Amino acid sequence: MTLDFTLHDWRVMERVVGLIGRLGCAYTRLDVRAAHDRYHASLDLVGAPDALRRLNAQLTRLCNDDKEMSR
Amino acid sequence: MFLESGFTVFESGQSTGARLVLDLLADEGVETIFGYPGGAIMPLYDALLEHPLQHVLTRHEAAAAFAAGGYARSTGRVGVCVATSGPGATNLITGLLDAQMDSIPLVAITGQVRTSVMGTDAFQEADITSIAGPVTKRSVCVRDAASLERTLRAAFRLARGPRPGPVLVDIPTDILKAAVAALGPRPHSPHAAPARPDDAALDAALALLHGARKPVAIAGGGVRSAGATALYRELCARFALPHVATINALGCATPGDPNFLGMLGMHGWKAANLAVAEADVLLAFGMRFDDRVTGRPDRFARNARIVHADIDAAEIGKIVATEVALAGDLRETLALLLQRSEATRGTRAFGGWAAEARAYGSALPVDRAPAGALSATAVCDALFAMLPPDAIVATDVGQHQMWAAQRQRASDPRHFLTSAGLGTMGFGLPAAIGAQFAHPGRTVVAIAGDGGFQMSLSELATLRRYELPVKIVLIDNRRLGMVRQWQDLFYDKRYSATDLSDNPDFVALAAAFGVRAECVAEPAQMGAALARLLAAREPMLLHCACYPAENCWPLIPPGASAHEALGPEALEREAAVA
Repeated sequence: MTLDFTLHDWRVMERVVGLIGRLGCAYTRLDVRAAHDRYHASLDLVGAPDALRRLNAQLTRLCNDDKEMSR
Repeated sequence: MFLESGFTVFESGQSTGARLVLDLLADEGVETIFGYPGGAIMPLYDALLEHPLQHVLTRHEAAAAFAAGGYARSTGRVGVCVATSGPGATNLITGLLDAQMDSIPLVAITGQVRTSVMGTDAFQEADITSIAGPVTKRSVCVRDAASLERTLRAAFRLARGPRPGPVLVDIPTDILKAAVAALGPRPHSPHAAPARPDDAALDAALALLHGARKPVAIAGGGVRSAGATALYRELCARFALPHVATINALGCATPGDPNFLGMLGMHGWKAANLAVAEADVLLAFGMRFDDRVTGRPDRFARNARIVHADIDAAEIGKIVATEVALAGDLRETLALLLQRSEATRGTRAFGGWAAEARAYGSALPVDRAPAGALSATAVCDALFAMLPPDAIVATDVGQHQMWAAQRQRASDPRHFLTSAGLGTMGFGLPAAIGAQFAHPGRTVVAIAGDGGFQMSLSELATLRRYELPVKIVLIDNRRLGMVRQWQDLFYDKRYSATDLSDNPDFVALAAAFGVRAECVAEPAQMGAALARLLAAREPMLLHCACYPAENCWPLIPPGASAHEALGPEALEREAAVA
């Protein structure tokens, strides 16, 4: 599974990486690039389908909170 | 006079970072904060001396976090706790995770070493934003004074919702001392509107309900968070729905509602668990299908088609397969369900099924107490029968928590405060302190076990200092009772580290703190002792010396189904065989 998302605070990547491990998934590629005041991340992930689904859902929550915090 | 260096002389229209923090807290509606001072946070404490904000000095930072949690749980407002850098900040961690697990709005403010030495392992330096990351919605360090106000405003916005939770703001000491622009007007920046369930999903949910034979509604803590209790009650009443509650939603049911079947879960009421097990449609509102509720998810409510309504889309489908997802604010969701079912009002009701579900069993099984011994369940029964209707009860964690949850009679979900998701021992007394500050005129009771009480007993000093009339019911069975019960049931009675028979003299201990206390050990004395406790106008502790072998029933073993709940016969049978 590939996930692409944008962050305002790069430190949220700590949380994303922590969640990947917590859910028993792993990344095979991790790319984060700064552009202006944002960070564009792209990850290739492997893991059980249920775990990837939960990861995706929680990532959406993290990104929403990040967006709210940056307002 | 020697003044610590680093303070900036400021001009008219300016403030210090510390003063701005306090002004902003007040502007956000905060009246009381809970905390403990130390080096890096001293500028804030210095500014407090001239500020109307009420600060409550707890005797441990963990208690400050729990007290802020109790304040928030009992009011719905944001609780605030304050600590210094390093150990002060790390001591908040359990309270932050506790708030995270139960979706409680909290803002923690921590001092940090000055920015010029951050990253050098300076005295009392901790990378608290990284440490707190996984236990908060967000944790941020303010690195420049100009962003202080914006960051704090965002922290409050995020803590409030849409799904509430804790946010930590770490402020280096030089930022607290720096000159900043005085607090500006509160910007109008409401939270982005939460998603609204789409019409098709609402109709699908109602279609499932109309076609159901055995529907059950479940209230979770989200009903409390959303302030949706009245709408939830209305929906249940409109369809005569049998309904149950998770521990965080106790009080969501209309008192005396015969269709309310009780608490769901491992120690839930038999009728509640069996009704859910037999249901063909579940309407789940603001709950997250915790493992203490579902047991094994693949065996949970096997026959049910599930409608899940929650503010947090990430919760929907996380544990159990959901047929209809209603992602959005619960108040709006419930209002829309009521509105859209108006046209068919009266065409479908489930009173017959509710009566059938009630017949699954309403009595709570209890162990037979030895003659003359004080039973903890009898204490709980008597206490809840005597409490005024608006009393607030905070529990600690363990057997007494479950006995209390089974027996409570809360008329509002903000009247029963408990550490549900995290199960934090030491929570009860400080949470009661927070609730009593928020509700000075109300009866506030902390029910604690002897294990948990000893994790926060230093807060007796807080009770005394502020003359808080919190009533403590200490259920002392000289054991870590819940662990002991599991050792009895699942570990072949191998009692490892659960004996607390060397407990201190709790009455003398309370007296040392200047807190009135008495001990009750005989059933015949209990009623009068509880009456004296509840009549006390000052802080008081009632030490209930209970017999040690009492168990909490029913108990659904881990991984078992609702039909496999254990009762007293489980151990009696074993004893007979032995």
